[in-house]
Amino acid sequence: MKIVIGLINGMLTAATPILLAALGGSMTYYAGIFNIAMEGMMLSGAFFAVLGSYYFHSWLVGILFAILGAILMALIFVLFAVVLKMDEFITGIGLNLLSLGLTTYMLRQIFKVKGAFSSLEIVPIPKIDIPLIKDIPIIGDVISGQNLIVYLTVLAVIIVHYLVFKTRFGLRLRAAGYNRTCLDTSGVSANRIRIISLLICGILCGLAGAFLSLGYVTVFTEGMSAGKGWISLAAVILVSGSPKGIALISLLFGFTDGLGLFMQRTMPPQFTSMVPYIATLIALFVYSIRLKKKQKIIGA
Amino acid sequence: MKRKILINLVGILLAFILGALVMAIQGKDPIEAYYRLFEYSLGTPNKIAYTLNKSVPLVLTGLSATVAFASGPVNLGQPGQLLMGALFATVGGLYINLPPGLLIPLLLILSMLGGALWSGVAALLKHLFNMNEFITTLMLNMIADYLTLWAISYPFFEKNANHPQTPLINQNGWMPEWGSFSSNVIVMLLAFGIIWFIVNRTTSGYEWRISGQNSLFSRLGGVNVKKNYLAVMLLTGALAGLAGGLIIMAGPHRFIKDIGANYAWDGVMIAMVANTGVILTLVFGLFFAILQTGALGMELQVQVPRELIKVLQAVIVLIVVAGRGYFESLFALLEARRKMRGRTS
Repeated sequence: MKIVIGLINGMLTAATPILLAALGGSMTYYAGIFNIAMEGMMLSGAFFAVLGSYYFHSWLVGILFAILGAILMALIFVLFAVVLKMDEFITGIGLNLLSLGLTTYMLRQIFKVKGAFSSLEIVPIPKIDIPLIKDIPIIGDVISGQNLIVYLTVLAVIIVHYLVFKTRFGLRLRAAGYNRTCLDTSGVSANRIRIISLLICGILCGLAGAFLSLGYVTVFTEGMSAGKGWISLAAVILVSGSPKGIALISLLFGFTDGLGLFMQRTMPPQFTSMVPYIATLIALFVYSIRLKKKQKIIGA
Repeated sequence: MKRKILINLVGILLAFILGALVMAIQGKDPIEAYYRLFEYSLGTPNKIAYTLNKSVPLVLTGLSATVAFASGPVNLGQPGQLLMGALFATVGGLYINLPPGLLIPLLLILSMLGGALWSGVAALLKHLFNMNEFITTLMLNMIADYLTLWAISYPFFEKNANHPQTPLINQNGWMPEWGSFSSNVIVMLLAFGIIWFIVNRTTSGYEWRISGQNSLFSRLGGVNVKKNYLAVMLLTGALAGLAGGLIIMAGPHRFIKDIGANYAWDGVMIAMVANTGVILTLVFGLFFAILQTGALGMELQVQVPRELIKVLQAVIVLIVVAGRGYFESLFALLEARRKMRGRTS
């Protein structure tokens, strides 16, 4: 039983940052932006989270800083891709590398360390115990006592779903992706919608970054996003942006990650670390097979 | 042509000014810092030789990305392909012993095979299951990262070393050096020449470029798109693999953990800023090598952390690429206005 609870908790831990970043990606996906900058936004968020938490001794300031740091990246994306009309793909790659460079540079300049910064003065984001529920055996161990960000993530799934499908803004958002000109001619600036979607993406990626560096550890390491932004991009593409689908697929990725940790007893750690990436490849494989079948049906 | 050079120079200048601002805010003298940067990388023949040596992996991975992007496939797998190439060359160098004249070419071929194998996996996934190479190559990067780490931690681990690394490869497989000039630069120039020739002077190169610009047009024109895709993926993988092999054979002569860190993403950056031009790739590869080599001088003399260069590189890419589009539309606008005026008068 303990193993199962451990697996579920591991799954939630691994899924949270991917899910948050993918929700951000979903916003921009609906707005018709080919946004691959989640990796960079997340990394920037992770760095600023540590910065805020370290200097103000408060996890709340850490989260705020993380969001601001990720929004800064989003604003640079806006400047280049929306204002200067640069290719979104190149902007994204450039931004990811800029984020990597900036955080490495600031790590050296501000904290005077190379590679990683950790300190007892960094305040982690607390775990929340829900009264009553925490006393229920098994269920209490899973539902209660998770990190604050995990609960925020659940909330974020619901909010994003509501925002995209049930509000006027959501309608415009989808219109911006579906037919920009049409939206523009009906008097709503598509660019404004695109900018808002990027800012929301920044907020969500900032939360993901804060979870990485202040969730279960209190450390920032160079390039600590380690491809999670790319995995979240894969998740967005796999389910065509649907927030519910993203939640499911992120949990699946999280599960394989937890499974990887579990397999470490029998396998060298380098192989188990590959598991999430291999899982992404397998998911893409299944996706393309299904797409092929669909096309065949349409063709016949 | 002149206009293109101008746009690139203006972009670089803007990025440098931004970097200078950052330094000035921190109370460092930017002019001194930039002087040290270029002095450290180009000051003496020895330093130039070292910078050239450093440029090899940058130019090769840059060429890999350039050829791929110019021909269509979004091969972002240079980091992984580089590592696999490095691993193949290392393993070959550990177990095979031949005279240098045979062993060096053999190891170079092995490294290309390693890289091509890794990009071939992505190409195959695309070919068989239509999986987008853009994400598969990224995932394969991470997998290669762990795979090579495992390889140097277990099967090819040097006993008694305190961090993952392999023993030294056979001395016959080391790239010859004359003073501080390493012969890997010759290999790089050869590869550059061959790539330039293939892209600009052969039928397949022409087909690749056309496919990159307009896939539908080339297919209607009778180009075998699938075959070309496979060829480009294998070639670009081989180039990145060669970069990895040369890092081992001219550098530490063994596979050390994190050996390929950054090199390969730099290749993608160089390709983007070079706008899929083969010659510009060489130029920017050399330029980035100057920056990266000089960064240490900047750090030693002016106490500006060398990581600033990483920021500067990304800023150069963003500004040059954005500037290119912006200026081009500006020129087009001016041109159109001039024509209008010509007509009305």
